[in-house]
Amino acid sequence: MRQWLFPIVAAVAVAAGAYQATLLATPYVLMNAAIKKVGERGPENRFAFGHMATADNQPIVRPSPDLSYSTCAFNLAKGPVLIDVEPVPDRYWSVSIFDARTDVAAVRSDRDTGGKAARLALVKDGQKAPAGYEPVRLDHDRGIALIRILLADPAEFPVIDAIRRKSTCKVL
Amino acid sequence: MKSWHRFAICVTLGLIGGAAFAVHQVRGGMANGTISNGPWTTGKSFGTADASALTRAKVALSGLLALPAKEAMYFTAKVDSDGKPLDGRCTYLVSGGKLDGRWWSITLYEGEGWLVKNSANRWSVPASAVDQAEDGIWSLTMAPDRQSGVWLPTGEVPAFDLTLRLYHPSPAVIGNPAKAMLPAIKRLGCA
Repeated sequence: MRQWLFPIVAAVAVAAGAYQATLLATPYVLMNAAIKKVGERGPENRFAFGHMATADNQPIVRPSPDLSYSTCAFNLAKGPVLIDVEPVPDRYWSVSIFDARTDVAAVRSDRDTGGKAARLALVKDGQKAPAGYEPVRLDHDRGIALIRILLADPAEFPVIDAIRRKSTCKVL
Repeated sequence: MKSWHRFAICVTLGLIGGAAFAVHQVRGGMANGTISNGPWTTGKSFGTADASALTRAKVALSGLLALPAKEAMYFTAKVDSDGKPLDGRCTYLVSGGKLDGRWWSITLYEGEGWLVKNSANRWSVPASAVDQAEDGIWSLTMAPDRQSGVWLPTGEVPAFDLTLRLYHPSPAVIGNPAKAMLPAIKRLGCA
């Protein structure tokens, strides 16, 4: 039985490591899958303007059918990425920046901007935001920018859709 | 059996066991580090760098791209106010008062968070859709069949859950979600 002592100790140590590694890897793996899925709807560093979520159109898990979602899978490898969000009057809207680990690097809503446009520059260490843009520092190249706009009534969609399509996501 | 055989067996079992336990915990709902309020549960660190590895992994699985609490709070109910699991073959009355935030909606999901197919093509009820009395009291009915008043279809799924989204919640709700005024979920009967 003593012959098994060290192998069992090793097994416990390996199990603890595998447990922690699985937890740490899960957000990266799922975010990578989400970036890939967003990437299928449009090129990198460009907003894709999705339809409203329905039972037949669920681009992400737990979507809200009251919000219009616009997504940009960004990549800072070629330089800073600029996010310009066209404001939509008299309603909740926000833009959120998620990094490759699923953490929120920044959120700006109509309340933060006073109803004006949101202008964010996604930058890594050593990169500079151009004048007029608020810098958002990221530790990873890739992530997702997500614009949410509240629709009180689905009939508003065509008007909201036309406004949101003025929002841009592009490499500097 | 040679020594390296014993190590190989144990290390393999350790790898599989550790990873399997992590997957089991991640898939096991949001009980870890969450706050309860009646049938509702929430967490305060969704989407933030403060989240623990387990919370972050759980959110990545069941609420990817969730917002931090200052922007939105997500309350989930898998049970009614008596603690019974929500069943799509039953009828429920959801009632509440004014919620302490800028805007809210209640959405019905099955599985890990998918909208349920139903004849009315309705998956959520936003604040603007309910009739609020002068004292702010409102109600809606969740049921498999069409109901008078505000109806949220359950699609007859055997199990479902609700997500209450509260956008721009008040500082009081962010600071103490356990004491926030949230809707009650009362089972009226089952088919």
